[in-house]
Amino acid sequence: MSLLVVNISDMKSSACAADILVTYSLGSCLGVTAYDPVARVGGLIHCLLPNAVGAREKSRRNPFTFVNTGVAMMVRKLIDRGAEKHRLVFKAAGGANMRNDTLFNTGARNFQELERLLGRNRVKLAAHDVGGTKPRTVFLYMDSGRVVVRSRGEESEL
Amino acid sequence: MTRKQEILHRAERILLLPACTQKALQLLDSPEADSEDLARLIEFDPGLTANLLKIVNASRFDAPVCSVRDAVGAFGSGMIIQFFVSTGVVPFYVQKIEGYDLAPHMLMQSSVTAALCAEELGRALGMGVPGHTYTSALLAGVGKLILGAYVKVEARPILDLAAREGIGFDEAEDRILGINHAEVGAWLLERWRVPGPIVRVVRHHLRPELCPQVDPVLDLVHAGMVMSKMIGLGLGADGLNYIPSRVVIDRLGLTPEVADRVSAEVVERLGPLNDLFLECADTNCLL
Repeated sequence: MSLLVVNISDMKSSACAADILVTYSLGSCLGVTAYDPVARVGGLIHCLLPNAVGAREKSRRNPFTFVNTGVAMMVRKLIDRGAEKHRLVFKAAGGANMRNDTLFNTGARNFQELERLLGRNRVKLAAHDVGGTKPRTVFLYMDSGRVVVRSRGEESEL
Repeated sequence: MTRKQEILHRAERILLLPACTQKALQLLDSPEADSEDLARLIEFDPGLTANLLKIVNASRFDAPVCSVRDAVGAFGSGMIIQFFVSTGVVPFYVQKIEGYDLAPHMLMQSSVTAALCAEELGRALGMGVPGHTYTSALLAGVGKLILGAYVKVEARPILDLAAREGIGFDEAEDRILGINHAEVGAWLLERWRVPGPIVRVVRHHLRPELCPQVDPVLDLVHAGMVMSKMIGLGLGADGLNYIPSRVVIDRLGLTPEVADRVSAEVVERLGPLNDLFLECADTNCLL
């Protein structure tokens, strides 16, 4: 078994059943998994911000920073590794906000951007655990596509 | 004895800043001291000397600085305070902080992130960045160390109260412990004789509107703390349970667009700086 760690503004993919993809420290950031249960190809992305408006250069350098460019790029990489687009199962976690925050709302904006992107592509999220004020860690088990969210020592399956 | 007195009593017996760092901070706070005194103090300690030369030379592309005296001259007193506080505090910061569910290095990660956010925000808003901005942000969370690692308070009841009443984690700390971690941190830094402007920022960084004076460094550190929590690096059990100050955000003129740009910038900058601090905390370091 190997643990592949996905950093902030990063994405990792795998086609190896023994791998587990993990991303720690999801605050307002959004973690999105995509998994093809037939090809057993999957990926996990940790997006910092919703979109690259006003930061085009940054999105060229690292598209995984942003939900709109990052998730699209992850899907392309998974297809390159043998996944079929229509079979991909998407799940999301993270997108927390500061308490009483009515200004930045970064977590909510990240999730809205994902919903917009998936809606445009007529894809539905299979499950999500977003919002609130808690930090989250997300695991994607490549043998089954199981997604587990850990927060404050408690684990739950998405 | 109240819970607050009990906490401070226990903390008093546990934590000590390295003697050399304490002496250096006293020197830096004294108007009579000169850079020669400071250089002499550092030269007595091979670990500090090596670290200082390493850090000064890390940002130079011309001839390397080879003596402590030249390094002190090149750095200036603001950066020297930063150096002493960072090297003196880092060994404490890399330990596990059980009460707040922070694995080793996590407090360091979140503190460095907050410090970079505060600096980068100042630049993005065209405010200029006073020398002690970085150090103040780096030290802002030091009270968690005392409460979580030494006094071993449990975060769970504090979190439950915060959730139940819709209040910030610090306010819930106040209600349950009689004191919050910002105040505990300021108390510790006063004992360490850290310069007053830094202590003031640490004391008020969670509720800056309660500070008796408007301080741009405090505003930057508060906003930097908020942004670092949103970025998420080194988040503990307290998570994002803090309330951003509307007064500060309006005073800074901080918009979501600026905050996004700064966050992206900071995440890019984080890698090498984290490495630098972790190197300083290496067990081989003679501090």
